[in-house]
Amino acid sequence: MTTTSTAAEALAAGSPFAALRDQLLTAAETFAADAADAPDAVSGILAGIVADVDRALREPLEIFPVCHHSPASALAMARRLREKQPKVIYLELCEDLRPLLDELRNCRLPVALQAFASDLDGFPPGWGPLSVVAPITEASAEYQAIAYALDTPGVEIVLVDRSSDHVFQWLPREPPAAAPQAGEGEAEDASLHGDAVGIEIGDLRPGFAELEEHLLHHGKVRHWSEWWDQYVEQPLAGADYETYRQVMVLIGSLFRRLRPSASSARSDRRDEDRERYMWTRMREHLAATGADPAECLYVCGAYHAASRVAEFGLHAEPTDYAIEPRTATRWLYGLIPSSHSAIEAQFGLASGSVSIAAATWAKALAASGVKPYRLQGQQGGKSGKRPKRAPAPAAPAPAEVTDRLSGFLARPPALSGLDEAELLGWCVDIVRLARRNGYLASTADAIAVFETSILLAGMRNRARPTPYDFQDAAVTCIEKDVVPGRRDVRRLCEILLGGDRIGQVGYHALPPLAQDVYDRLAPLGLDLTKRTQQRALLDLAADPDLEPCSQLLWMLRYLLPDGAVRPIMGARRLGERPIQESWDLRIGAHQREIIELGYEGVTVEQVLEQRLRRSVWDPQATPAVALKAVEDAILYLGSRRFTDELGARAVELLAAERTVDDAPEVLRRIRRLLAHYRSTEPELPAWCESFVTEGYAHYCTLLPTAFVAEDTGVRQVGAMLGFLFSMEGLALSLGCDRAQLEIAVRQSHPEAPAKVALLWAAQTQLGMMTQAELRARCAELMDNPLVLPAFPQYLSGFVQALEPVPSLTPFVVELLSTAFGRLPDAVLLPWLPTLITTLRKESPELVPVLVREAGRTFPASLPALDAWTPPWSARAKGAAPSAGPSGGGGPVAALLAAHPAPTDAVAALLGIDAPWAPAAPGAGEAAGHPEAAALLAAHPGTATAVAALLSPALS
Amino acid sequence: MSAEMLRAPAEVKYAEELDWLESVDDGPKPFSWRLSPKMVRIFILGSERSDGLEREIPQKWFGDRSFVERAIVTLASDRGLLLIGDPGTGKSWLAELLAAAISRNSTLVVQGTAGTTEDHIKYSWNVSMVIAKGQSRESMIPSPIMTAMEQGVIGRFEELTRATSDVQDALISILSEKYVSIPELDDDAVVFAKPGFSIIATANSRDRGVNDLSSALKRRFNFVRIPVVSNKKSEAEIVRFRTTELLRRHSIELELPPTLLDILLQSFADLRAAAASASSDDEKLESALSTAEQIGVLEDAILHSHFFGDRTLRPQTLAGSLVGSLARRSPEDLAILNKYWHGVVEPRSKKEGGPWQEFLDGGRQALETLS
Repeated sequence: MTTTSTAAEALAAGSPFAALRDQLLTAAETFAADAADAPDAVSGILAGIVADVDRALREPLEIFPVCHHSPASALAMARRLREKQPKVIYLELCEDLRPLLDELRNCRLPVALQAFASDLDGFPPGWGPLSVVAPITEASAEYQAIAYALDTPGVEIVLVDRSSDHVFQWLPREPPAAAPQAGEGEAEDASLHGDAVGIEIGDLRPGFAELEEHLLHHGKVRHWSEWWDQYVEQPLAGADYETYRQVMVLIGSLFRRLRPSASSARSDRRDEDRERYMWTRMREHLAATGADPAECLYVCGAYHAASRVAEFGLHAEPTDYAIEPRTATRWLYGLIPSSHSAIEAQFGLASGSVSIAAATWAKALAASGVKPYRLQGQQGGKSGKRPKRAPAPAAPAPAEVTDRLSGFLARPPALSGLDEAELLGWCVDIVRLARRNGYLASTADAIAVFETSILLAGMRNRARPTPYDFQDAAVTCIEKDVVPGRRDVRRLCEILLGGDRIGQVGYHALPPLAQDVYDRLAPLGLDLTKRTQQRALLDLAADPDLEPCSQLLWMLRYLLPDGAVRPIMGARRLGERPIQESWDLRIGAHQREIIELGYEGVTVEQVLEQRLRRSVWDPQATPAVALKAVEDAILYLGSRRFTDELGARAVELLAAERTVDDAPEVLRRIRRLLAHYRSTEPELPAWCESFVTEGYAHYCTLLPTAFVAEDTGVRQVGAMLGFLFSMEGLALSLGCDRAQLEIAVRQSHPEAPAKVALLWAAQTQLGMMTQAELRARCAELMDNPLVLPAFPQYLSGFVQALEPVPSLTPFVVELLSTAFGRLPDAVLLPWLPTLITTLRKESPELVPVLVREAGRTFPASLPALDAWTPPWSARAKGAAPSAGPSGGGGPVAALLAAHPAPTDAVAALLGIDAPWAPAAPGAGEAAGHPEAAALLAAHPGTATAVAALLSPALS
Repeated sequence: MSAEMLRAPAEVKYAEELDWLESVDDGPKPFSWRLSPKMVRIFILGSERSDGLEREIPQKWFGDRSFVERAIVTLASDRGLLLIGDPGTGKSWLAELLAAAISRNSTLVVQGTAGTTEDHIKYSWNVSMVIAKGQSRESMIPSPIMTAMEQGVIGRFEELTRATSDVQDALISILSEKYVSIPELDDDAVVFAKPGFSIIATANSRDRGVNDLSSALKRRFNFVRIPVVSNKKSEAEIVRFRTTELLRRHSIELELPPTLLDILLQSFADLRAAAASASSDDEKLESALSTAEQIGVLEDAILHSHFFGDRTLRPQTLAGSLVGSLARRSPEDLAILNKYWHGVVEPRSKKEGGPWQEFLDGGRQALETLS
């Protein structure tokens, strides 16, 4: 427990609380007699609490303790403001959020004030972006104070808490904890705040789990909100101001004193720092403006009202506390929509509790007749006329402090009686709601729920059923073994008792970017404030005016998370013009994201430009990323200057790259970009040319290494070769040297079979190897039983080679067919899945090429298959006659044909028994006698001699 | 009386406590209830200082308070109570405690099986007596439910969903009209329920779909779903509480070391996590891994070490019992246990040592024997 200094415990002389203090001390002594351990601690705490209350109430600056989402606080605030009409209100809220308050009137509550920083200066770099949100609901004391101050002339509202910058400055310098997880179910609404740090006024909760558990256990309630509602909220709802103040300070002090010293030391220090900060700011303000403290009101959490820092109070001794300067971080401010469930998720409240608080507030207003303050022009809710300022009654000075605590503590809470009509209404409504959600509920159930609620409340010592009892009763009576629809009874009860309310930031409170988005989407004719999904149909051919809308939607799709805008029909690709598009829009539900875009720039284009620029200047950026950015820039922005800038960066990145990992991606993208520029512009942009020449040189240099490096895949090498071969024409025209490529290929000595195959393919393409040689090599491989098991890998290599050397396609089809025919099953079968996955995953664009070629090669019908011989074996067979040298034609052949005897004799001598083929007509007459020609070619002596002999005769 | 019974019903076992509670109870009592709803809750969930009772009432059922409150309130209303949950979550025990506290009689039980007929729910005839004297109230054998109606007490129906749907529907008129007519008799042909009569039924959520309740019957029951206890602290409480009771029943003097209890709870927690992440039934143990299963394992280990061991509970014995009770299917369950033993227990025994090491050895031996 926090130790207590006895000086602080001493009550001021003549305190009205002396009697109470004595009574408590006596009780502590009695109690200490039972529990032998640390009797002083108990009396210390009890006396301390009384002293805290006494001190807070004696303070000349009126302290108004509040608790968050407490209708009782809001009610007391509204009453007090009417009564006192203060001139200055000090509010416990980050001081830098002040300008946002005026914008609240343009919004539908709940919304959250947000401070946002992405360019950090003075914080660890990993922290960004920093975001602070302070949600404001209608049923809160702070809203009452804000509404009063803003709408009453001559009243000033001063936010006195530390700035958003200090919130993070005071955080421990460790990686921030994971963002609180949004609850299940309605997760989308619950995550409205993103991962911002939440702050709220009057956070009041026991400082340690054991105390909370104890309170819940003995209060026979399930969660904190219920406890609070039953034991503080309800009794205080009708209490007078003095009692309200004293009880709130008492509770604040109690929770403050009952906390384990070790674990909370840090948060204690932070809280105390905040109190010093606030009091310092208030004293500064009072000194600067000369306001009368009697006309001021300090609104802070009950916890801070029971503060014991040295700076507490207007008449505190001066200390050496100085406010630390802010860091150089630039903060941006805005309002974002919030919701009850988001508030519950962020601050760990029971689900539904904020909604119930809102319902209680409405009811309390009706019951008490108090007129709440409400900002002029506020959207939503009932439009009440602003209360005119009453002729100011002389602000009653905080009257003589009297002890209201003793009475309050001694009496059991006076609860309002059973509100039968209200409960009946709930019962009927829940049954109706349940029926609509698929439950077989009937009037009998309504009766049962009513009865069970009352019985449950009786069992839990409550005079009237609370919403929580009602919820339990409804679950008992209506919920059966299965939930028929999307929502169970518990959730239905939450909806019934108020349901989630989602706020909305009004147009005028939006940042320029968001306003711009709304303006530009106006031609669509949709109500973009709706949170539901809406379908937008854009017939661009019929209505070209919608083109800017389409352009904006594509940019938003790029910038916003999934689901905000989703194209159903239509695509943005290079070289395509949209004709019709249809979109699913949920702009209203993603208002926060659009507002946060507004922190990055003034228009969507600017934000997009920044994002693209940031992506290419990222230390991790690769040429593929830069090319993608270029493509996006062409698609969405269309600015030549900007694409050139990005392109130039792509060239730089390519030159600096040491690996070829994303070569396939680079190849794909640059091909697409080149095709785009060729079709749309008279000449290629300079950066494209330098990208190609740079790439040619770069990949040539890396080729030998890539061929041998084990961590470079076949696909990468294939893509490199693809780049080199397909860009060759362009590169050579720009001054590259083909010798560079040839040398690079000659220098490559791969060992992996797949890469060897690639190299062969490359050599074929470069003319360093003929297809016949290639075929022969493959045949050799297949004949060699030692290499046979590795043959599939060669095949994989050839498949990849289709990319750089498309002319190999018939050969690859041939090779695949041969492999399927000849490879033993043991080798073939394990490889087949690999082939299929390779084809599907890595080179889907090659499959159609292969299939088309195969379609050309193989017969289309079954009967044709019987008669079919593969073209390659036909070629092998048919090639034999024509393959040999055709020998000479013309006169020699004619002569021989005319005098066959000598030739026959020679042939007989040599053992050749071949008939004379009839001479082909025309020029190649001897072409039909290859045997003879071959013979003659082999033994030319005879023929020469005969020719010499006959030459005179012939000539 | 309880000394002669193997297992005394709650009203006998806690007779003295119930008497005392009744004597100090000044709260309003619905119908013919023996205790007021608040006292029923205290009897089941134990007393606290804030209840202002002079003696401490121990907790007998462990679980969320709101379940008990909802159950009690349901019994005070017009509807029957259906406790639904996984096997071994304490449904029947809660039903017994409720019946004992409210009407001091928890033995009016109908057990739902495939063979349960309408006679078991309403009445049947003593055939020889009918032959001798004809049909009369005297020769009629009332079912436990009818007896409960006549006495105005709580009747119980165990495993409601095991009985076929047409038999279940016999309850509809009992729950709504609150009488049973006996058409065989000419006069005195209707048995009316006295105030205080209600039915507590239990149903196993694993049996869903076997004999689904008709909507007419569903409407007449309030469902209270009892979840599997996943809070380690309360689970330890339950296991300790039930085991102590079992030990007393077997009159065994044996110390239950807290470390072993931790090991048992931890193993079940691990196995449950594994079952939750399994994608098919083959990757899950057949057992529901409920708290009752843990008690079963512990009881088995205790009996084993009492009769065959040196009368101290050792980690090996516990491991053997765990494997023995959970390995129901071969090879699926054995494979899962084997994976658990080598993937989880082994690293843990290396890290934490102590009894985990012996637990590991014991489990291995048991797995080897079974494989």
